Amino acid sequence: MTANPSELAERVAGVVGSDRFSSDNGTAKVRVDSDHWLEAHQTLGAEMPYFSWLSAIDWATEVAVGDPPESEDVESRYEILSCLGNVETGELVVLSTDIAKDDPSIASLTDVFGGANWHEREAAEMMGIDFVGHPNLTHLYLPDAFEGHPLRKTFPLLSRDVKPWPGTVDVEPMPDEEGPSTENPEDAG
Amino acid sequence: MTAVDRHRLSMHHSEVQVSVELQTPDMTLNLGPQHPSTHGVLRLIARVDGEVIEEVEPVIGYMHRGYEKIAEVRTYPQITALVNRIDWVSGFANEIPFMVATERLMGLDVPERAQYIRLILTEMARISSHLVFLSSFPLELGAATPLMHALRERERVLDLIEGVTGGRFHPNFNRVGGVKPAAGAGSTQKKVIQDLPIEFLEQSRQAMQYVRDVCDDLKDLVVGNEIFMERTKGIGIIPVDKALAFGVSGPNLRASGVPFDIRKTDDYLPYSNFEFDVATGENGDCFDRYTVRLEEVIQASRIIDQAIDSIPSGELQAKVPRIFKVPQGEIYVRAENPKGEMGYYIVSEGGRGPYRLKIRSASFSNLSVLPWLLQGQLVPDVIAILGSLDFVLGDVDR
Repeated sequence: MTANPSELAERVAGVVGSDRFSSDNGTAKVRVDSDHWLEAHQTLGAEMPYFSWLSAIDWATEVAVGDPPESEDVESRYEILSCLGNVETGELVVLSTDIAKDDPSIASLTDVFGGANWHEREAAEMMGIDFVGHPNLTHLYLPDAFEGHPLRKTFPLLSRDVKPWPGTVDVEPMPDEEGPSTENPEDAG
Repeated sequence: MTAVDRHRLSMHHSEVQVSVELQTPDMTLNLGPQHPSTHGVLRLIARVDGEVIEEVEPVIGYMHRGYEKIAEVRTYPQITALVNRIDWVSGFANEIPFMVATERLMGLDVPERAQYIRLILTEMARISSHLVFLSSFPLELGAATPLMHALRERERVLDLIEGVTGGRFHPNFNRVGGVKPAAGAGSTQKKVIQDLPIEFLEQSRQAMQYVRDVCDDLKDLVVGNEIFMERTKGIGIIPVDKALAFGVSGPNLRASGVPFDIRKTDDYLPYSNFEFDVATGENGDCFDRYTVRLEEVIQASRIIDQAIDSIPSGELQAKVPRIFKVPQGEIYVRAENPKGEMGYYIVSEGGRGPYRLKIRSASFSNLSVLPWLLQGQLVPDVIAILGSLDFVLGDVDR
């Protein structure tokens, strides 16, 4: 990236009026309050007019598929992420906010960025998040009659319950769990 | 001149005795899901008034494979095989941002030779993807000849990719920390004797010359063709502000005059070592979207020529344990793929697989501008506009 991520995160945090920002792994990320979600995008939109994507993360300690988070003090919540950029400077920043699981709703960004329309429809069907003010919050990918929200951590992969994925029998134990590892990159294929 | 004006004008010229005030009731026109002009399974529900589109609603999801969910139950090396099926016309390029993101989370330094091989194959994927567009787009407008010319040279490029990776479309060639030894070099051998096929560099140089020659052919056959110009110039204009708000990226954005190229702004591969120009258009119409891609093929061949001349020797992979966990952290890495910005947001919770993987695909955002773009256009222009956006439904639906 052309811009220094930590300076960028600090500057954007100043623009949207937040004091929570990070630049771990070179990804500038600024956290805002969910009440200021729309306002933050309106303010930042003048400087960062390129709308890259919007998505959500389901933070949960109990999961139906995959591995749960390593630390057990993960706060149960949905995290909404959006990614804005500036095409002249090449800057890129991720905005994030938390919403409670018992009331998963947030203001829609469709009035600020037209591109948020499909991204919000996807997040709505996959995570069950209500984007207030969205003009057409219907299913995007899934059939109309589909029930449930597949990307929630409580949603099982039914096809894998019926028939386990063949690859699972090949899973080797971690080296520190059993036996020495072979640190031979030529074997990795 | 708007599309509607043009329509009325042409009726006037041909002296057709039809009043433009003619009342035409609203009609719903269904395009697809199975239709040659829709590039896969895309359905458009259009409300038309005569020949003019009033409203269009794309229906997608016929190719939805749920990669973001599957990724949560797979390990990082297994996900490599998934991601090159997202945009299958440029399979190799899809792997790069995912690999770079994983490597940065793990703090790995990828050997320079591996980075150069990645770069060469990415640019070959770009050439192959663009040649498909450059030849199939005229086909949709009724010109069949360019297809034969361009696909012949594309096959040459695909042969080179296949020679290295073993796969024409789904290479699955990257490994966390580098690339694997080339196909035929014996991936199970303890010692890597040969990492690129014999004469790969020489054949690449030849192939690039053929590619540039076919670009000259396409300039004569297509760009200078009056019918093609009539069908594409001033059609489907995307203004810069709309393009940015909808997240339109890649050649579609550059055709609108924005010189935004992630190869220039980010450092996911060593593009800063090479000289190349960012092709831009002026009007953002279908014609510019064609010429920008044509120029990008030539620039990509320039990059490959330079990379072949300067490829360093050395290791192919960083030292990575056969089985590994990725440290806790979040990262977003994007890359300039043939279709536009492709990125992966990885949330790692210290496991063998990601806790959450968000796939940002170029075609999804490029296609989302369609309901806005098609308003007020003529039905025959829909095909030109759809084709000019160069999307792949696998990249839209993921």
